[in-house]
Amino acid sequence: MNGETTPVLSARSLTLGYGGDPVVSDLDMKVDEGEFVVIVGPNGCGKSTLLKALGRVNRPVRGKVLLHGEDVRSQRAKAVARKLALLPQSPLAPEGITVRALAARGRFPHHTLLRQWSPEDEVAIAAALELTGLTDLADTQVGSLSGGQRQRAWVSMVLAQDSPTLLLDEPTTFLDIAHQYDLLELFAELHRQGRTVVAVLHDLAQAARFATRLVMMRDGEIVADGAPAEVVTADRVRTVFGLNCDVMPDPRTRTPLVIPHERAVPEGPREREDSDHARVG
Amino acid sequence: MSRTISEPTQSESTRGGPPEPARRVLRVGRLLALPVHPRSLVIGSALLVVLLVAAAATLSLGRLGIPLAQIPAALGGQGEATHLFALERLRGPRLVVAAGTGVALGLAGSLFQSVTRNPLGSPDVIGLAAGAGAGASVAALALPGIVPVPLGALAGASLAIVIVYLVTGTGLRDPGRLIIAGIGVAAMATALTHFVVSVMARDQAGVLASYVNGSLSARSWDHAATIWVAVALAVPFVLALAGPITVNEMGDELADSLGAGATTTRTGAVVLSVVLSAAAVSVAGPIAFISLTAPQIARRLSAAPGPNLVLSAVVGALILVCADLAVQQSPVGDGLPVGVFTMALGGVYLGYLLIREWRKGTL
Repeated sequence: MNGETTPVLSARSLTLGYGGDPVVSDLDMKVDEGEFVVIVGPNGCGKSTLLKALGRVNRPVRGKVLLHGEDVRSQRAKAVARKLALLPQSPLAPEGITVRALAARGRFPHHTLLRQWSPEDEVAIAAALELTGLTDLADTQVGSLSGGQRQRAWVSMVLAQDSPTLLLDEPTTFLDIAHQYDLLELFAELHRQGRTVVAVLHDLAQAARFATRLVMMRDGEIVADGAPAEVVTADRVRTVFGLNCDVMPDPRTRTPLVIPHERAVPEGPREREDSDHARVG
Repeated sequence: MSRTISEPTQSESTRGGPPEPARRVLRVGRLLALPVHPRSLVIGSALLVVLLVAAAATLSLGRLGIPLAQIPAALGGQGEATHLFALERLRGPRLVVAAGTGVALGLAGSLFQSVTRNPLGSPDVIGLAAGAGAGASVAALALPGIVPVPLGALAGASLAIVIVYLVTGTGLRDPGRLIIAGIGVAAMATALTHFVVSVMARDQAGVLASYVNGSLSARSWDHAATIWVAVALAVPFVLALAGPITVNEMGDELADSLGAGATTTRTGAVVLSVVLSAAAVSVAGPIAFISLTAPQIARRLSAAPGPNLVLSAVVGALILVCADLAVQQSPVGDGLPVGVFTMALGGVYLGYLLIREWRKGTL
């Protein structure tokens, strides 16, 4: 397309909702090949809703999502799933399933009614387990894994899907800090290997550290979009999240780090007043 | 065309502990390639053998039984007239109806439990079977010759599922609400059945039993044809849904993103389940708890995740054939409806399941 490449994903005047007031209104956004885009914003700002719409899970109220320039709704669901994988926030592990069997389920978009297995399946599953470091746990039941391993098992499932683009909906929630970084490093590695990654994350420092581009949302709109250092400013964190803070460069990566201000400690007399109330109550 | 079961290209089970059997694939040339779960294959074959033994016992035991050695001849249309009568008019159709009904109930239960993602989301627990029973009784007794019984059963089952769907307020998602709505719908449907039977067929305990509990006595080849045609028509759709419902167990969002449209899959499975349940009820009445237990027994036996469709069908047939054998040979005699027997057995399991799910917090 005359010098400019078609974006992998683009949202065109997208309005999203679940029947009531729209959660996202008239939003435009694009993701180019090879980006690691992280969407951040306060709870309820519509970031997960947007991600699901990009992944063809939510049907837009108005507007459309284009995948390589073509409306995702006009393409076959399995064809879209071969180009685009989505890891939702809380998928359900079937009772008694092993890690390998879970990864194998990511191969569904490559199957037809009569051909539900191919040599490529074995290659893709083995590669997905290798990348997530689960090869040795392949025959273990998902239910008996630790939280970090279980999340890796889900990642192996979307990797087995073998799609060049990954959408991740708060993939680090409920993990301890070491496992969060462990998983984020894995996503960064996948990004370096050429995958396009779009993730919704809660932690601004993590988002800024790993993203090549940050998209900040509030009330269903994009309020900032650009390099992490440009997007994360003290002013913006105050207006978008309502948090007074300083922003300073991370001493290791030079990416922005949010240092919240301590809330003003209640004055002596008021504290006494409170405890009096407590005693009476 | 080469027909092979091949080893996977990759084999890594160097780790300690019991390694999962390597994945095997049934291949027919380039046309067909389906992964096979070896343990399910072995267990399924073993259960089929047991089913054959139970079938032979059904034909040969008791008064009017055909001696084992005579069964092959009788099947070929040779032998004593009493044997042929027992085979063609009494036990033959009854046995074939029992097996077909078991297959239909096993499949219906497996489909429904899979898409509701709950072992309690079963057609017999949520009032679907009772609704079909009421529909069948209305068609057979109040509108004889006007509405065919299978159609009445289908209408009753459909109405029941629609009511359950509407009154839960959350569709088929919440198992607790599903069960409570199901209890109400089942109670109303059973009351309607009682009403129709007491008005139209007074003093006939057997008739009442067959519409309230389900019975296999006095079945004909027409019944056998009805249930097996329904099963045969449903099987292609069941096979087409097998992949999508397996993926659907991981949640709607993941199913959608994998290209297995969650809503379409669920609707298809529920419709199929309604049709199969209605077909079963129209030939044997609302026989309880086969749909509930067969899929769970199949899963325990195969130790495989997923809906275990084929094995559920085999287990359903085996349970019903064995239950009917027990009823026929019981000291109470032929009069005991098989549904009473399965209800007594399945009720214990339902109780266990309710307590377990309650403790897990899923209810």
